[in-house]
Amino acid sequence: MFGFEAIIAHDGLGISVIGISIVFVSLILLSLAVSQVHKLIGLWDKRNTYYQRLKKPQKRGDQKIPSDMPVPQDIRRASRQFKLLIEWIGEPFPLPKLLDLSEKCGLSSPHSTINEFIKCKLIIPDDNGYYMWNKQIEEKRSNA
Amino acid sequence: MSTDIQTLKLLDFFADLNFGELEQMAPLMHLMKVTEGEVLTRKGEPARTFFIILSGNFMLSFKEERSFTLHNKGNIIGWSTVVTPFQYTGTAIALTDGLVLSMPGQEFLRLIQSNSALGDKIMRKINKIVSERMPYVTGTWGKGGTNCLALKL
Repeated sequence: MFGFEAIIAHDGLGISVIGISIVFVSLILLSLAVSQVHKLIGLWDKRNTYYQRLKKPQKRGDQKIPSDMPVPQDIRRASRQFKLLIEWIGEPFPLPKLLDLSEKCGLSSPHSTINEFIKCKLIIPDDNGYYMWNKQIEEKRSNA
Repeated sequence: MSTDIQTLKLLDFFADLNFGELEQMAPLMHLMKVTEGEVLTRKGEPARTFFIILSGNFMLSFKEERSFTLHNKGNIIGWSTVVTPFQYTGTAIALTDGLVLSMPGQEFLRLIQSNSALGDKIMRKINKIVSERMPYVTGTWGKGGTNCLALKL
């Protein structure tokens, strides 16, 4: 028995269909897996963010008493360093110069720290494009 | 990624624009993430991109290191893209991480020039902002001064 007869007799067509199906299903599964790799890489890249998110709720629960205390303390600590720089520059001072100096001195996150100072009015604009250190706010904060 | 009309509708800069005009603007605007310390524009460089703030805080500095800060959604950076000599008059730095809409200056200018009604509305807004910021650019203040621009612009 040769040729098609032999193939049919030994269920060759069925086996080849199953073989083709296995190969194609595997290829589809593989392509699906490859198409999702970017998500896994994204998760890996943001692992610190997710880890912090998981951690945060526990922290919130722990700090029930003065919820906003850490921020002013941070600002107060940073304000001492920035105040020294401002005294050295002189008032009214240009904001870019303060930024430049604070970067040169290696202060951490000078941009966002200065932004915090402006938002809590520790640094206030004069009317000519320069800025002043707000002593009143500083006194209020130190009395509080 | 281009912007949807709903996002533009909420911005004061586009408040006077009708739906059709917003439809023309939306494809030109692209969402862009900015990080703390990132420089968006540099004084004296060709003004190629116009920005609208969606979130974050920014400092604009001009000659003699005069500066003001922008903190509000809808504030604009880079009006020089549509005003001769098409050179940035100031340096814009992100004070915090944020989101902005960016638009290529040439396309913005082309749109303004091709649609007179839209151009008129946009240029009115820009003229108002330019007149408010001009003292910082020139370094000359009127008697009344321009106090607290940081909050208004």
